[in-house]
Amino acid sequence: MQSCRRKSLWLALLASWLLGLLGILPLLRLAVPTGPRAGAPQGWPRWLDAELLQSFLQPGELPEDAPQLRRAPRGGSCDWGACFDTSKCRSGGFKVFVYPAAEPTSEMQHKILASIEGSRYHTVSPTEACLHLLTLDAPAGACSLVPPKWNGGKNHLVLRLHPASCSGTFQLGWAMVAEASPTVDTFRPGFDVALPLLPEAHPVRGGAPGQLRQHSPHPGAALLALAEERGGWRVAATDSSACPWDGHCEQDHGPEQTHPGAALPNATFCLIPGRRADALRFLQALQAGCIPVLLSPRWELPFSEVIDWTKAAIVADKRLPLQVLAALQEMPPTRVLALRQQTQFLWDTYFSSVEKVIRTALEIIQDRILGASAHPSLLWNSPPGALLALPTFSTSPLDFPFYYLQQGSRPAGRFSALIWVGATGQPPLKLIQAVAGSQHCAQILVLWSNDKPPPPSWPETAVPLLVIEGHRKVSARFFPHSAISTDAILSLDAHSSLSTSEVDFAFVVWQSFPERMVGFLTWSHFWDEAQGRWGYTAERVNEFSMVLTSAAFYHRYYHTLFTHSLPKALRRLAEAAPHCVDVLMNFLVAAATKLPPIKVPSGRRHEDASPPRVPGDLGPAARDCIDRVAAGFGHMPLVSSRLRLDPVLFKDPVSVLRKKYRGLEKP
Amino acid sequence: MCLWSGCQPTVPKNKIKVFIYSLKKYVDDSGVPVSNTISREYNELLTAISDSDYYTDDITRACLFVPSIDVLNQNTLRIKETAQALAQLSRWDRGTNHLLFNMLPGGPPDYNTALDVPRDRALLAGGGFSTWTYRQGYDVSIPVYSPLSAEVDLPEKGPGPRRYFLLSSQMALHPEYREELGALQAKHGESVLVLDKCTNLSEDVLSVRKRCHEHQVFDYPQVLQEATFCVVLRGARLGQAVLSDVLRAGCVPVVIADSYILPFSEVLDWKRASVVVPEEKMADVYSILQSIPQRQIEEMQRQARWFWEAYFQSIKAIALATLQIINDRIYPYAAISYEEWNDPPTVKWGSVSNPLFLPLIPPQSQGFTAIVLTYDRVESLFRVITEVSKVPSLSKLLVVWNNQNKSPPEESLWPKIRVPLKVVRTAENKLSNRFFPYDEIETEAVLAIDDDIIMLTSDELQFGYEVWREFPDRLVGYPGRLHLWDHEMSKWKYESEWTNEVSMVLTGAAFYHKYFNYLYTYKMPGDIKNWVDAHMNCEDIAMNFLVANVTGKAVIKVTPRKKFKCPECTAIDGLSLDQTHMVERSECINKFASVFGTMPLKVVEHRADPVLYKDDFPEKLKSFPNIGSL
Repeated sequence: MQSCRRKSLWLALLASWLLGLLGILPLLRLAVPTGPRAGAPQGWPRWLDAELLQSFLQPGELPEDAPQLRRAPRGGSCDWGACFDTSKCRSGGFKVFVYPAAEPTSEMQHKILASIEGSRYHTVSPTEACLHLLTLDAPAGACSLVPPKWNGGKNHLVLRLHPASCSGTFQLGWAMVAEASPTVDTFRPGFDVALPLLPEAHPVRGGAPGQLRQHSPHPGAALLALAEERGGWRVAATDSSACPWDGHCEQDHGPEQTHPGAALPNATFCLIPGRRADALRFLQALQAGCIPVLLSPRWELPFSEVIDWTKAAIVADKRLPLQVLAALQEMPPTRVLALRQQTQFLWDTYFSSVEKVIRTALEIIQDRILGASAHPSLLWNSPPGALLALPTFSTSPLDFPFYYLQQGSRPAGRFSALIWVGATGQPPLKLIQAVAGSQHCAQILVLWSNDKPPPPSWPETAVPLLVIEGHRKVSARFFPHSAISTDAILSLDAHSSLSTSEVDFAFVVWQSFPERMVGFLTWSHFWDEAQGRWGYTAERVNEFSMVLTSAAFYHRYYHTLFTHSLPKALRRLAEAAPHCVDVLMNFLVAAATKLPPIKVPSGRRHEDASPPRVPGDLGPAARDCIDRVAAGFGHMPLVSSRLRLDPVLFKDPVSVLRKKYRGLEKP
Repeated sequence: MCLWSGCQPTVPKNKIKVFIYSLKKYVDDSGVPVSNTISREYNELLTAISDSDYYTDDITRACLFVPSIDVLNQNTLRIKETAQALAQLSRWDRGTNHLLFNMLPGGPPDYNTALDVPRDRALLAGGGFSTWTYRQGYDVSIPVYSPLSAEVDLPEKGPGPRRYFLLSSQMALHPEYREELGALQAKHGESVLVLDKCTNLSEDVLSVRKRCHEHQVFDYPQVLQEATFCVVLRGARLGQAVLSDVLRAGCVPVVIADSYILPFSEVLDWKRASVVVPEEKMADVYSILQSIPQRQIEEMQRQARWFWEAYFQSIKAIALATLQIINDRIYPYAAISYEEWNDPPTVKWGSVSNPLFLPLIPPQSQGFTAIVLTYDRVESLFRVITEVSKVPSLSKLLVVWNNQNKSPPEESLWPKIRVPLKVVRTAENKLSNRFFPYDEIETEAVLAIDDDIIMLTSDELQFGYEVWREFPDRLVGYPGRLHLWDHEMSKWKYESEWTNEVSMVLTGAAFYHKYFNYLYTYKMPGDIKNWVDAHMNCEDIAMNFLVANVTGKAVIKVTPRKKFKCPECTAIDGLSLDQTHMVERSECINKFASVFGTMPLKVVEHRADPVLYKDDFPEKLKSFPNIGSL
C-alpha cells in the first residue's frame, strides 16, 4: 500500500520534472532519477544530467547590472559608516567631551561624570573631542533641552542608564544611544550600545567581586532557580513538572523553598523571563555565578557587540520549556564549568562598577574607530579582558602575557635587563657582569637618571649594552622604551646585587608564569584594624603579596599598561611619591592577573644590605601610599602567597655537582 | 519559529529536521511557467540538505521546510506568481518555519537588498542583506556563491607579501568609485592595480576569466593571488560573488559597501579576515591598510582562505553552515562555539583551553577530601587515617575498599577521627577506582593517598593543600619524576633519579581538582583507562598526562621529598627500585604519548617550598616548620 503510494508519487514527480524541463530546455536529454536507496529516506533525487542544469548566475549577467552609489541613510536610521565621523578621532586620538550635567542631576549622573573626568579619554574642549557624551538620567522633564554643540547629534553618544528616563523628548538625529537593556526592536546593532541595567546603588569604582568561590558547582546545589515575578528567587522542582516557570504552577510549591527576599539560592542555573525589567535579575545571577538562562529576552544583552554571551549564558526559546529543562539536566560538566567561570570573569571585568560599564561602552566605540586595529574577540572574551589588554600595544594575542596557552605557544627564551640608575646611583658594574653572564640575557639597558653624566666607557659584555639618558621621574623606569627587544624584562636598580645563578633560575621560572611578576624581595600588605587603613611591611613573614621591582622579571606589556592605562590620579601619585611605583606596579599586575606574584630564593647578601628603597620601618608616607593606591583602584587587588619556588634540588643534601643552580646554595 | 512538536527531542539529538518539498511545475493562470526550472546550484543545495543529518522525508516530523522553488536569483523570477506558488505549499502557513535561499535579491533600478517575493514569516537566507533589511537573529546572511569555485583549479598560495598591495578586480563599478580607485593608483603607483573588463579580446576568449589594465591582460581569478588586499565594492547589489574569489586567493577583502551584512556575520568574526572601510573613507583606504602590521596581515590572509574553505567553496558548505546557524538558535545549549566557527584547524590543534581558566584561589575553609585506596593493609591504612586526620584542612576522608573478597573491618575498629569517614566498596579491584568521581566528594580539592603513605608530616600535607589553592588547575604532589627522550632507542624513558627537572608527580600522595576525576573516568583518550586497569600500573602517569594535556601546564612538586619510604614496604617506592618496573613505566609513557598523539607533559625546574623554608629564621615563627625530609 505504502510502496504503491510512493511509486505513484515518484511518477508524478518525474512527470512534473520532465514537463518543467521540456518547457524551458526542450533539447535536454531526459532526466532520470536514480533508484531509491534501501532503508534510507529517499531524499532529493539525483538527476543524471544535473551537470546540464544552468547556473543561477549567468556569466556576464552581473556586469550588466547598474552599479550603484551608496544611499543616504533613510528614515532617520543610522549606522556606523553613515552617521559617525571618524576623521576627528584619527588626528587627536579618542577624546571624549562630557556635557556638564544640567540641574537637577541624579546621583548616577554624578558618578558617571566623575568617572569619565578621571579617565585618560577626557577632554574639556568640545572642539577637540571625537565623541560627545550626553547623559540623560535626570528626572523626567528636566532633559528636554538640546545641548549647545549638538550638531544634529553627530558623534554624540546619549547615555541612558535607566530605560525610563527622558525617552523621546527630542530628536536623537545622528546620535548613538547607549541604553540600559534596550528593546531588540529599536536597537541598532553596530551603532547603539547596549548597557546593563544597573541597580541604583551600584558602586562607582571597584565594586563587589563575583560571588563564586569554587570553580565547579557544589554537589548539594540545586539545578535551577527561577526569578519570580514578585521579585526574589525560588528553587525549581526539576522532576517532571511540566511548567516550572510559566507562572501557572505557583500554587504547586511542593518541596520547593520560597525565597521572598532578593537573595539568590545556591543553584547552578538561574532562569530569567524575557521581560525588560528582568534585566536586573540577569546581572544579579551573573554576579552570583548562577548561569543565566534567558527565555526569549526582549532586550539586547549588554555589550553584545563584543561579548560572546554564548560562553556565559543560555538564551533559549520560551516556547520550548521542556526542551530547555532537559538540556540543562543533561549538560556535560565541562560546559557547566566553563559557563560558570565565564560569568565571573565577565562580571568582574565589565559590570561590577559604573566606571567599568562606562569604560566598556567607550572602549567599544573606540574599537569601531580603530577598525582593523581593534581588540580581537579573544581579548574581549578571556581574562583579563579588553579593559586591561590594550589594542594600542598589539592586536596579536601572542604579544600579550596572557594568552600563550590558548595560542599553543610559550614565551621566547631571552630577556632584557633594565637597570635604573637613580640620583645617588653609581655605575652598576658588578651587576652588569652578573646579568650579562646569564645565557638568557639578550641586552642590557641602563636608564641613566643621574645628575652626573654617565661614564664614557662601560664594561665589555657579551650582549649589547645601551645607555638611555635623561629620564628624571621614577615612573619613567616603567616607560615602554622602544629599545626593549624582548618580551621579558628584568627590572633592576643600580644597587641591586644578584648572581648569575639567581638570574638564570628566576628567568626560567618566569617562563612558566609569564603573566606574573617573579621577584626576590617581597612585601606584604595587611589591613590595619586600628587605623582603619591598608598598610604593608617589608618584614620577613610567612606570606607576601608584592615583589620589589628593584630585582624582578615581568612581561614588557606591563610597561605599556603602567604608562597608558593608569587613571590620572594614580599617575600623579606615582610622580609625587617615587617609592610608590613599586606598589603601583604590583597593584596593576595583580589587578590584571588576580594572582599573587612569585618569589624565588635570593642569597643572603641583599637581605643584609637593606637597599634604600626598601623601607624597613615604613614611614608614614609609605603607609599612605598603599592606602591611596587602593583608593585609586577602588578595591584591593593584591593577593597573598605562602610559597616560594626553589630549584628542584634546592638545599637538598646531595652533591652540589648534581645541582644546576649551585650558585644559589652558597652561604 | 519552530513552534511545532517536530522541533522537540529528535534523533540525532539537538538536530532540527528539514523537509524538502518535491519538485512541481507551477504555471500561472495562462499556463505559462512561473519560474525557470531549478538552477544547478539550487539542485546542489537541495542535494546537500538531503544528504545531511538534518534531512527527513517525513513531513510530520519536520521543523523546517525548504521549497523546491528556486529563488536564488531574483532576475529570473516573476515576483507575484512565485509568491502564489509558495502559498500553495502544503505546510506554508504564511511561511512559518519555511526557509528560502536567495543570493541575488532585488532588481533594477533600485535593487532591494532582500528578496522582493513576499515571504511573510518565512526565514530568508539571503546574500546581500543590508542593515535595513536584515532581521537579526531571524534571517541568515549567506555568501553569493561564485561558480568559479568549481570551474577553476587554483592551487593554494600561502600568506606573505605579494606583488600588489591593493587590487581591484571588479568589472561593474560605479564611475565615481572607479575614479576614486584611479586616484589611488595614481598616488601610490605600482602597488595599486585597478582592473577592468577587457575591451579588445578575440571572441573565443572567455571574457569573465580575463581582466585588463590598459593593454595588459590578466587571468582571473589567478591575479587575485598576486595581491595582499582586494577591494570588494558594492555593485548593483551589496553581495558580490567576487568576495568568494578573493577569499579563496588568500587576498584580504577590503569591503567597501556601507550597511552590508557580511555572510554568516552572526557567527563569523570578519574582523579577523577582512577590513571594512566606510565608503566615505575610500580615499584613505591605502593609509588605513598600511597601518596594519605585517604579522596581522598574514593572519588575515590565512583566515580569509580558511573562511573560503569552510563556508564558501561549495553550495554544500553554504547550505550546511546556514542550517547549523538555525540549529544553534533552536538548540543554544548545544551550539557551536566561536572558536569552532572561527579558528582554523591549525590553531584548534595547538591551542589549549584550560577547563579551570578562572584565576581563583579557593577559600581555605573549603578544605579537602582525602581518598585512600586500599586492598587489605588494614594496619597501615589505620595509621594513614590517623596521620591524615591531623591535617587542619582535612574535611572528609573516603576509603575506597578495593577488595571484593574481604569486607572492611567493622565500624567500631576504625580510628576515631574529627571528620566524617566513609568507606566505599568497589565492584572490581581496579586502579581506576581511585580516580572515580564519587558523589561523596564534596570539596573541590582531592588528596589521593596510598594506604602506606605514613611518612608525610601534617605540615607537609597542609602546605601541599595551600599550594594547591594557589594552583587549583594543577597536580600538586611530593616526589617528582621526569620523562626523557632516549636518543639511542628513539623513545621516551621514565626517570626517577635526582634530577634538576620534574614533569610528573606521583599520585601516592597528590592534591588535584575533583574535576580531573570526572575527566579520568569519562574522557580519558583511547584505551588508556582499560590498559591501566589491565596492567595494574601507571594510573598516576595517565593522570599526569591527562591534566597536562587539558591545561597545558606543568605539575607542582612540593617540598624536597624524593620518594615514599615506608617501614613496612619492602624494597618499594611504589615498586620503583625494581628494574622491570622502570621498563614498564617507560613503556607506559610511550604508550600514552602515542594515544594522546603528542607529549603533553611539561618540564619545569622548580618546586614549591614554604616562603621561609631553610631561611635563617626562628623555626617557631615559621608557618610550616616540619616540612619533612627526602
